[in-house]
Amino acid sequence: MDNIPMLEVRGLCKNFETNEVLSGVSFNIEKGEVVAVIGPSGSGKSTMLRCINLLERIDGGSISIAGDMMVHTNNNKKVVYAQKSQLRKIRLRLGMVFQSFNLFPHFSVTQNITEAQIHVAKKDPRNAAETANELLKKVGLSDKADAYPYQLSGGQCQRVAIARALAMNPDILFFDEPTSALDPELTAEVLKVIQDLAAEHMTMVVVTHEMGFARDVADRVIFMDKGLIVEEGKPANIFSNPQNGRTKAFLKSIF
Amino acid sequence: MLENIDNILQDLFRLFRLLGIGALTSLKIFFLTLIFSMPLGLAVAFGRMSKNKLINSIVRFFILVMRGTPLILQIMFIYYAPSFMLPEGMKINIDRFVAAIIAFSLNYSAYEAAAVLGFTKVQTFFKIIVPQVIKRILPSISNEVITLVKDTALVTTLGISELYRAAKNEAARVFSTVPLFVAGLFYLFMNSIVTKIFDKIEKKLSYYR
Repeated sequence: MDNIPMLEVRGLCKNFETNEVLSGVSFNIEKGEVVAVIGPSGSGKSTMLRCINLLERIDGGSISIAGDMMVHTNNNKKVVYAQKSQLRKIRLRLGMVFQSFNLFPHFSVTQNITEAQIHVAKKDPRNAAETANELLKKVGLSDKADAYPYQLSGGQCQRVAIARALAMNPDILFFDEPTSALDPELTAEVLKVIQDLAAEHMTMVVVTHEMGFARDVADRVIFMDKGLIVEEGKPANIFSNPQNGRTKAFLKSIF
Repeated sequence: MLENIDNILQDLFRLFRLLGIGALTSLKIFFLTLIFSMPLGLAVAFGRMSKNKLINSIVRFFILVMRGTPLILQIMFIYYAPSFMLPEGMKINIDRFVAAIIAFSLNYSAYEAAAVLGFTKVQTFFKIIVPQVIKRILPSISNEVITLVKDTALVTTLGISELYRAAKNEAARVFSTVPLFVAGLFYLFMNSIVTKIFDKIEKKLSYYR
C-alpha cells in the first residue's frame, strides 16, 4: 500500500531542561483511525500532543502531516522546522481539544466557534455562523448558541470546544484528556460526542484515562510510559492480553 | 437685609465663576493626561514584556522611578527639565496593566487555544488577551482615574491656575475657607461623574467572566 499516513512521528524527543520527557517516540496515524493514548501520569502523553500541535518545540525527531514535513532533524542533529507560512498551513489541518476547555470567556458560544473561521480561515461571517449552528446541533447544544462559557457546565464547555475545533475542518483532531476535569455524568456526554465522530471516521488521537472508552471506541491503543511507547495494538489485545510487564502493571492498577 | 442677600448671591456667583474657570483648566489637564497616558502605558507594557534585555531594563527602571517617587517631585522635575509633555501624563498606573498582560501571556489557556486555531500573535493579543485584560484591570483603572482627578491639584505648584489654586486665591482674598470647601464639592462632583461612567462600563462588560 502506498498510503501516506495522516500523521507520522519518528524518534520524537523532548526535554524540559535536563528532564527527558520524550525519548524517541515513533508511530503513525492512518486516515480515519481513532487512536487512544494511555499510560500513567508523567509518561509524556500530553507533551507529545503539544509537540505535534506546535505548542512545544521538539529536541529531536520528525513530524509530518499527510506527507508534509512539519519538522525534522538533519544530519547534524539540528532540529529544523518548516517555514512559518508552511507551519501555518499545517497547523490549520490540526485541531486540538484541551483538558481545561480553554474557551474564550468573553465570546458567546457561537462567537467561540465562528471567530477563527472568520479571522483565520477568512470565511464569510454568515457561512461561519451556519457552520456553528450545524456543529452545535451535532454536539447537542443548539439551545446554548448565545450563552457565555461561564453559564455552561464543564461537559457543555467541552462540547463547545469540540465544535470550535471541528469548525476549522481539521484533518486530524487531538484530545488532551478531554474528560479529566469532568464528573462521570458529564464525561459520558463528551465521550458520546467523540464516539459519534469516530462513527463518521474522523481521524482522532485521544489521550485519555477512560479505559472503557479506549477499549470500546479506539481502533488502536498506544500505551506510553516514561517517554516511550511501550506497547500498542488492538484494544482487545492490549486490555485482555498485555505483553509488556509495565502495561500489565498499569492496567492492573486501574482495573 | 435685601442688600445683604444680594451681596451674598453676588459673592457666590463670583466664586462659582472663578472656580468654574479653574475647573475647566483642571479638566483640560485631566483629559490631556488621560489621552497621553494610555498609549504611553501600552508602550511601557510592551517594553516591559520585551525580550530585548536593554529595552526591558530601561522600562523597568522607568516604572521604578515613576512608582517610587512622589508625583509632586516628578511634576517639578519635568517642569524644570525640558518640559515636553504634561507631567501628569505618566500618572495612570501602568503597573497593573503590565501585570495583567503578563499574567495572561503566561496563562496558557486562552493563548494556546488561539494558537492552535491558527490565530496570529497580533490577533491573539487584540482579540483574546486585551478584552480579558481590560475587564480584569477596570476596577484599578477606575481608581487611578479618580486619583488623577484629585491629583490635577498638584500642578498648582507650577503656578497653573486650576481649580485648587483658584480656590486658594479666593480663600485668601475673602479670608474664609468657604472657597476651598466649594472647590472640594467641585472635585466631588467630577469624580461622581467618573464613578458613574466606570460603573456603566463595568456593567457593560459583566456579560462575561
